[in-house]
Amino acid sequence: MPVPAIRCGKTGITFLVLFLTLTFSCAHFSHELNSLLVSELPRSVEIPSVPFYPQEAYQCGPATMAMVLQWTKANVSPQDLIPKVFVPTKKGSLQTALISTARRYNRLAYPIKGVEALLKELAAGHPVIVLQNLGLQWFPRWHYSVPIGYNLAKGIVILHSGKEARRHMRWTLFMRTWKRADYWGLVVLPSGQLPVSADEQSYLSAVLGLEQARQFKGAAAAYTAALERWHSSLGALMGLGNCRYALGDLIGAEEAFRHAAEAHPQSGASFNNLAHVLAEQRRYPEALQMAIRAVDIGGPNKPMYIRTLQEIRTVIKTGPE
Amino acid sequence: MSFLQSMRKPIAVLVILAISAFSISWAPAHAAMVSTDEILKQNKQNLDRERLTILLDRSEVRKQLEAWGVKSEEAKAWIDSLTDREIAEIVNRIDQMPAGGSGLGTLVGAALLVFFVLLITDILGYTDIFPFVKGK
Repeated sequence: MPVPAIRCGKTGITFLVLFLTLTFSCAHFSHELNSLLVSELPRSVEIPSVPFYPQEAYQCGPATMAMVLQWTKANVSPQDLIPKVFVPTKKGSLQTALISTARRYNRLAYPIKGVEALLKELAAGHPVIVLQNLGLQWFPRWHYSVPIGYNLAKGIVILHSGKEARRHMRWTLFMRTWKRADYWGLVVLPSGQLPVSADEQSYLSAVLGLEQARQFKGAAAAYTAALERWHSSLGALMGLGNCRYALGDLIGAEEAFRHAAEAHPQSGASFNNLAHVLAEQRRYPEALQMAIRAVDIGGPNKPMYIRTLQEIRTVIKTGPE
Repeated sequence: MSFLQSMRKPIAVLVILAISAFSISWAPAHAAMVSTDEILKQNKQNLDRERLTILLDRSEVRKQLEAWGVKSEEAKAWIDSLTDREIAEIVNRIDQMPAGGSGLGTLVGAALLVFFVLLITDILGYTDIFPFVKGK
């Protein structure tokens, strides 16, 4: 799927050539719905606390983002978000802009894909931003909306969309428009809360984004939350250590790296980073021991471990700068 | 865009040369600390080369965003908040981003045809273009 600039609003006559090959996707969603009916999901859900902003022309990106950010108690209006999310010459908003904006407000942005994840998140009380193509493949009309609930028995999705709050949309129509956008969705949560549909790798990647955005406190909280679900996860422990280190918390970083080294004795990186934080606390003998351990374990990052060892040896010889 | 595309290789070569020349001094304060990013990366081969590519990609994507009218500081904050993998995804797809509005009124006959096609698909419940089509 291309990266669309989501223009949402006016149906611009922008098509070039008409391929009158109407390829309808006639998948039968009814049986899918039936299988969901027998699962453990509640049959009917509506999250009451999601504010609604009617969108201005082309501005569904800023509007939907403001809705979910406000739901997470961030104080932000669609107007504030326009320069962050909206691309003027494309008259639309890109998916990555939504992701990066959430992070800039210290919120976790977790992309989801597919019906099961969407319904699970809604059932857990998490609104989702979804990308839809309201038109056809050859005449796309990209649009963001915010599903806030569903009713399986009635076969509807409840969403804040365009100028309409709590719109009841037929399940089949929603699925057709969502399918054309590759079932893309985005869960936005206060950092430290887990999406219910999260898997370890995708979640850690999402938290890495927070770290990348230099939201170290939020990222540390998010890694800590990960450790409650995935005990001793190497990525989460290393991330936690690195965030605490970035915040200047050497003792906390040491604790996380030590935990990583104990739980993953084959991970040279844990020992390497542990050596660093020990050296910064001027505990050189211990640091030296850990650095040697990292070099012994080796692996693709071995050149880094050797550099660490050399640095520590130099400091021991000449004293700290 | 096309200019940037055609310049991509020469720029890449220049930047690689420049960075290689300063590669001794080009290192963050704690170069030998393993980042979370590297822990999460599956394939750890050619880390240094990968870093160079990503560095190039970041500046290129940023330039592209600015060319599309995003303010410079917003474009920077935007790019800075994305992981390497996300940047790589943008670069892989940047050519496929649909261009902004054009061709208004050039194909009026076709427009009418499309109007009717979409009207019918709206009524049938395949699309959601016209608000006046009820019962969706």
